[in-house]
Amino acid sequence: MTPPLLQAADLRKDYPMNGETVHALRGVSLRIDPGEYVAIVGPSGSGKSTLLQLLGGIDTPSGGTVELQGTRLDALSDGDLTRLRLTRFGFVFQRFHLLPVLTARENVELPMAEAGMPRGERRARARELLAYVGLEGRTDYRITQLSGGEMQRVAIARALANRPAVLLADEPTGELDMTTGRQILHLFRRLHADGATLVVVTHDERLAAEAGRVVHMLDGAILDRCS
Amino acid sequence: MTGIGWGVRSLGRHPLRTALSLAGIAVAAAMLLDMVMLSGGLEKSFGDLLLARGYQIRLTPRGTLPFDTEATLDGASRVVAALRRDPAIEAAGAVLGTALYGRSADSLVGLFGYGVDPTAQGLYQVTSGADLTPGDTAGVLLAGPVARLLGVGPGDSVTLIGRLDPQVAMAAVGRRFVVRGVVHWLYDHRGQLSVGAVLPVMQRLARADAADRASLVVIKARDDGAVGSLAARLRREFPELEVSSVADLVAHFKLRLVYFRQLSYILGSMSLIVAVLLIATLLTITVHERLGEIVTLRAIGVSRGTVIRQVLAEGAALTGAGGAIGIGLGLLTARYLDAILTGFPGLPAAFSFFVPRAGTLGTAAAVLFLTGSLAGLYPAWLAARSPIAETLRAEAT
Repeated sequence: MTPPLLQAADLRKDYPMNGETVHALRGVSLRIDPGEYVAIVGPSGSGKSTLLQLLGGIDTPSGGTVELQGTRLDALSDGDLTRLRLTRFGFVFQRFHLLPVLTARENVELPMAEAGMPRGERRARARELLAYVGLEGRTDYRITQLSGGEMQRVAIARALANRPAVLLADEPTGELDMTTGRQILHLFRRLHADGATLVVVTHDERLAAEAGRVVHMLDGAILDRCS
Repeated sequence: MTGIGWGVRSLGRHPLRTALSLAGIAVAAAMLLDMVMLSGGLEKSFGDLLLARGYQIRLTPRGTLPFDTEATLDGASRVVAALRRDPAIEAAGAVLGTALYGRSADSLVGLFGYGVDPTAQGLYQVTSGADLTPGDTAGVLLAGPVARLLGVGPGDSVTLIGRLDPQVAMAAVGRRFVVRGVVHWLYDHRGQLSVGAVLPVMQRLARADAADRASLVVIKARDDGAVGSLAARLRREFPELEVSSVADLVAHFKLRLVYFRQLSYILGSMSLIVAVLLIATLLTITVHERLGEIVTLRAIGVSRGTVIRQVLAEGAALTGAGGAIGIGLGLLTARYLDAILTGFPGLPAAFSFFVPRAGTLGTAAAVLFLTGSLAGLYPAWLAARSPIAETLRAEAT
């Protein structure tokens, strides 16, 4: 049996809100294999985004463990966890979260610069990635000069910059209209076909339908799994 | 483009706010610069002025400083002759300062007269015409303002009247001199009406010839490095006189200006604090505004160190740019203030309150840059410590 790429075991997340404890996750276990395309769906407040953040080492669980290729994230120092996020995870956010003062290419270059990649190499890779997401003509555009769909494609290119083991996307089409959402959907399909491991939190049924596996969540727990 | 580049470029997002902050930093930097120039400038300027002609030692009546009182020393020629025999001394000359009058049409003009030895003087530089010669009993040197007031120049005649009651002087017969040259008197205040003649002539005009009086004797030592020991030896040889090296006079001057210097230190420190607060405030605001971006960077794996460096880089960029503008502004205001301050009566016009010195300016710039950069520490800490997931959740709602 192939070892899992990413595995969550009995994940729990509680946090205080208005003097009460919110149980965002109640013992979630999940295994993601290499090359899988997993969609996590569920109503708002079901714990999808929290799960994604815990899987990606952005947040720390109240209980349970997350392992990436056998490495327990909770055993890592803050510095090592940051490095892991930089090199092994790719993140795509609903609101793109790109830096508006930089160009598309510079946004894509940023994680590579942080990883210490030489300038020439990262510049070439940024151009290559922007071409991959269909933005070869927009490399030197400021983010503010791009449309929503273009911004999300830049964000995907940025997420792929350091050749991550897994790409985690939180509502990647949530801010987009149907047409541009479809473009992102096609891009994800292509990424998967090229061997990328994808975990996508979404409300978008079309996007979920593309996934090889759909994980349904409700009230901080996984309901079932559908292939 | 690195995280640091992003930080610096972020300053351009709110150009007006950044410009206003830069203006504030520039004003604070200018004030700091002026205060730094002021704190050491006076003594530097004073020392340079005293050494302008290379005379490192002054002899004055006991208990006095040069031209500080009207006291005079007797037997000036004997003192000068003794000094000139000293192999450690290159030149020595006596100077007498006295009040006298010049006749302008049918009125009298109050003048200040210098009796000098043209071969050994540390008081003037000829700007036009010729210098006096040692035996020239008919020639005078005029300050520019006197030449303009009397409407004369080299080759013309002027009438000078010695130390008399003005009422009597009106009736007195003056003595005519030929103007040899127009000179710049180094220690004159702006607009001072000074004239010079050889010492014996001025002594006669001042009725100080009988006792061979002089206000001071200036001495040029052969070896700059031996001025201190020469001054010490002269103190033993001339116990009735006050022997002051330039270093002594500067030290004395420094003592008199201690409160002035303290004030400039206080004002300088205050401007530094203002600059730091300004930078810290601006950076704190911008960090709060960009918290979403910052935590996103943290989420995608940008280290705390990079985030801290970018905020500090913003502080450094602000300080650098504001400081550069501040240097220009500071030099401009220093020139303007210097022109006002050196116009005060009794101050040598050649004196400067604000003296830019590379070492001091470098130290001030380094202190400003360092403290300005460090002003970003709190906002940088704030940025680096922000909880990622919590902030992203807050951003999403």
